[in-house]
Amino acid sequence: MKTFKTLFLTETKLMIRDMNNLIFGVGFSVIFAVIMGMIMGGKPAFEGADYSFIDQSFGAVIAIGIGATGLMGLPLALADYRYKKILKRFLVTPVSPAMLLLVQFLVNLLVSLICLVLVYLVFVLFFDFDMGGSFLYFIPAYLLVLLSIYSIGMMLASVSPNIKTANLLCCAFYFPMFFFSGATLPYEIMPAALQKASDILPLTQGIKLMKATSLGLPVENMTFPIILMIGLAAVCILLSVRFFRWE
Amino acid sequence: MEKALVVKELTKSYGSLVAIGNLNITVEKGEIFGLLGHNGAGKTTSIECILGVKKADHGSALIFGKDPGKDRRLVFEKVGVQFQQTNYQDKIRVDEICQVTASLYKKPEDWESLINTFGLARMKRKMVAELSGGERQRLSVLLALIQNPELVFLDELTTGLDAKARRDVWKYLEGLKQHGLTIMLTSHYMDEVYTLCDRICILKKGNTIFQGFVSEAIANSPYDNLEEAYLWYSGEEEQKDENL
Repeated sequence: MKTFKTLFLTETKLMIRDMNNLIFGVGFSVIFAVIMGMIMGGKPAFEGADYSFIDQSFGAVIAIGIGATGLMGLPLALADYRYKKILKRFLVTPVSPAMLLLVQFLVNLLVSLICLVLVYLVFVLFFDFDMGGSFLYFIPAYLLVLLSIYSIGMMLASVSPNIKTANLLCCAFYFPMFFFSGATLPYEIMPAALQKASDILPLTQGIKLMKATSLGLPVENMTFPIILMIGLAAVCILLSVRFFRWE
Repeated sequence: MEKALVVKELTKSYGSLVAIGNLNITVEKGEIFGLLGHNGAGKTTSIECILGVKKADHGSALIFGKDPGKDRRLVFEKVGVQFQQTNYQDKIRVDEICQVTASLYKKPEDWESLINTFGLARMKRKMVAELSGGERQRLSVLLALIQNPELVFLDELTTGLDAKARRDVWKYLEGLKQHGLTIMLTSHYMDEVYTLCDRICILKKGNTIFQGFVSEAIANSPYDNLEEAYLWYSGEEEQKDENL
């Protein structure tokens, strides 16, 4: 427990010092929430909708935090620790290097949660956000999407032969999802063709799931995203374990 | 008495290249053992195979009677390791890496006092990345000793240190030896080996050329000092001629 506490505190400090994760995981989404609120605040999601555009956007904006931490923060940290042989150093101590990986996972989860709370507060305090759905459904949905996106990140870190490839792969996965999954550019205003293309992205399905649960829409329509998220997590975790190397 | 380290018939090849050919070493408790050889002779690979970081093709290595690959937790509670090149997390401070390293063990030393001993007290709040080469080297030795180990592996322990710092490290290690610490080291400096080591093993292209006491190494060669003897064993002289 002493080991875990010291590692978690130190890695959290390093994350704060590094700033990247906070800027891209938290800063971006909060700024985006504010801009979205100023432009679309008070407007209904669509004509005759009984929830506002902001209510509808919540599930999307917090996905920015999940994407930034899961597809950039976590995999790049893991790749970095491997190529710097920091994991190898842990291999010759009584503590498993897996402990360091777990701590990294949790530090990124923490950033993601800070993003969730801050976006929630911005929406509630300034833009009359009313979460129609229940946290009982929303939180599991959120964690499932997070696990699934993080597992993609862990897989990318495992299959990359070096830090440059890891960087490239992360960008190749992160930026399309950043722009076209509905996290920033709202899915609802995309042309139908782009929506179709967007549906391929895992985060698009994740956002649909988080939107449905945060709005309190029937979860029955969400079978596909749920199965996809679980399947994706299973496959990616298997692959990342299969291809994992300590150095 | 239980041996600190017993290596039996250890071999490792990369394709057709033999990295270690049949290595046999026994290190008694409280002994300082030196693994010598040119760059690429197989010192680091040997250490990594002994520690179970790399998988040997054949043979075994037991540390205090245990296989470090299988009993990681038990073995590394007692065994400290300094790798040749050590990197740390980005933007981590000296005191933080000490804290983290100490937290990995059950009964660590007081790292604050170690930091004084190794002349790094003023660097405590500095980023590890800002340290000079010599300071980083001292830090990596310090971290290998932070758990108060019974056996420590030091791979090129004083490379990059100035004369004074090297003597300080030697003195400190000799002090630890008096208290029963066993040391397995690699070094390119024969004065260091002569000062510290009880026994040595000289490797050439993965094969053991000589193993025994330092005095024997000199006596069995045509020379009267370790450096000349070492070059004679490892065939540096011939090679020089060939290269001419």
